[in-house]
Amino acid sequence: MRKTLVVAEMALREISRRRGVLILLALLPLAFYYSRRGEAYWQSVRFVSLGIGWTLSTAALFAGSAARAIEPRLRIAGYATHQLYLGRLVALWTVGLALALPYYLLIRLDLDSVRYDAIALILVLTVAVAPPLGLAVAALLPRELEGMLVLLTIVAMQMMLDPDKAVAQVLPFWFTREIGTYAVESGAGTEHVSRGLVHAATALAVFLAVVALATTLRLRRRSHISIA
Amino acid sequence: MDRRTQWLRGVLDLCVLGALARGESYGYEIAQRLEAGGLGVIAGGTLYPALLRLERLGLLVTDWRAGAGGPARKYYRLSDSGAATLRSAGADWAVFVGNVNAIMEVP
Amino acid sequence: MTVDDWLAALSAELRRRRIDPAGPVGEAAAHLRNSGQAPLEVFGPPAAYAVAVVDSLRGATREPRPPRSGEPLLRATGITKRYGRRTVLDDVDLSVHAGEVLAMIGANGSGKSTMLRICAGLLSPDAGHVRLGGTVGYCPQSGGTSDFLTPDEHFVLVGAGRGVGRTEAKARGRSMAAALDWAGAPRAGETRHLSGGTRQKLNLILGRLGDPDVLLLDEPYQGFDNGTYLDFWQQVLRWRDAGKAIVVVTHLLNELDRVDTVLDLTPGGAR
Repeated sequence: MRKTLVVAEMALREISRRRGVLILLALLPLAFYYSRRGEAYWQSVRFVSLGIGWTLSTAALFAGSAARAIEPRLRIAGYATHQLYLGRLVALWTVGLALALPYYLLIRLDLDSVRYDAIALILVLTVAVAPPLGLAVAALLPRELEGMLVLLTIVAMQMMLDPDKAVAQVLPFWFTREIGTYAVESGAGTEHVSRGLVHAATALAVFLAVVALATTLRLRRRSHISIA
Repeated sequence: MDRRTQWLRGVLDLCVLGALARGESYGYEIAQRLEAGGLGVIAGGTLYPALLRLERLGLLVTDWRAGAGGPARKYYRLSDSGAATLRSAGADWAVFVGNVNAIMEVP
Repeated sequence: MTVDDWLAALSAELRRRRIDPAGPVGEAAAHLRNSGQAPLEVFGPPAAYAVAVVDSLRGATREPRPPRSGEPLLRATGITKRYGRRTVLDDVDLSVHAGEVLAMIGANGSGKSTMLRICAGLLSPDAGHVRLGGTVGYCPQSGGTSDFLTPDEHFVLVGAGRGVGRTEAKARGRSMAAALDWAGAPRAGETRHLSGGTRQKLNLILGRLGDPDVLLLDEPYQGFDNGTYLDFWQQVLRWRDAGKAIVVVTHLLNELDRVDTVLDLTPGGAR
């Protein structure tokens, strides 16, 4: 446990030193929010959560790529692979929650006649899913540029694809629209929430599995070594 | 590097042995003996490494002696193998020089 | 340069090369007193004179090494590695005991780094086996550090992996930095601001942190100035005396008479 927390602490310190990333994390979702503020305001909720999802997963992408240089040495020093990626995830989730809180308060103050608890749920689930997504992309694509393009494509598709189409459910943040329907439409039923929860849980599980498998494979103890 | 320096490089260690054949001595005085013998000024940076080499090879024996009214001095003297080396190498050198002289003579 | 400055510099240079400076410095001081000449005239620059003294003494300073006994701490047998059609390592054997230093040499591309990574467990060979008799530390030629963390944070991070507490890890890291002539380690900022040579010092310290029994060093002295390079070899010999097994990949051949074994990976070279 202690080792995982040390990894988390250092990952947090690393992120806090990357000023550019922090500014983007803070302000980009704001831009997304206000881009839809004038029209149907419920779009603001969806867009701000997509903004948070995108910047947080990008931050995770960079954190994961940067970690590659030092992870082999940490393995040799005695860390288990799961301590490395779990520690990083804990740090990213912490950053995500710290990021989401002001936005929740903003929505609280700015929008009326929406279900605030549902909105809180959307934000929490977005924060939960984004870091595993980013780390999964980092684990599969060694170079940051390709990873960024993948995340960009996901977000763009997320915005452009009609959420009612079945294929849209393949996208990781589909649940924001689904639970969002319950949040903004007074007549909507709670089945939206349950569908959204299932989707978010599935996305989370899939990305965590990819991270775990890819990292464990890359940092595995090789079979040609025996310790006396 | 001029010719004289090159020659000296080849025989410096034997000259040091020769200088000590006259009796034990310490670094600075050995340099003075060599200079008085016509070899010119031998830089400390050349002499002391040569002394250390000869000591390592067992051709010189050394001991530190408290100087009168001064810090300790390292005295060098020939060992038995040093004396033997000087004799045999000296003989070889004489033969060598003789041959060189003969070849260089303008007829 | 005053006589005292010159003598002090000579003393430091000799100590760096593990030679007791008392004798040579005493003689030089006496000679300068007697002759009244300037030290640079008589002896030349202190570093160059120190090299000449060390060369002359080299035979005498070799302490007799006890013969190797017992199980090696690192034993690699039959290591073969191919990249496509190119065979980089062909049935290579290597063994290092506690208290031994092995220098791995060879031309560029002869597979030195590959061999070391296989021994560290970072790369799988196509054939062969590696037996380790203790914990391993590894220092790559470059990389292995995190740009946005400070050296102290690196010490804590790597130390925690080895089970070393926070304060202890920082203390050990800082003292190793001092031994490599890096006094500024405690105050240093993010690693990305360090010079290449200093970053390599950090790399070396992290490989050694936690006191592993086997040390695998891949030309860790990149960017070291001459003084630090000598300090590095001093440290290697000290770690050897403390019973560690050390492999140093190098293509600089000056230090080969100070190591216990030399493994030449040049194809067709002696094994």
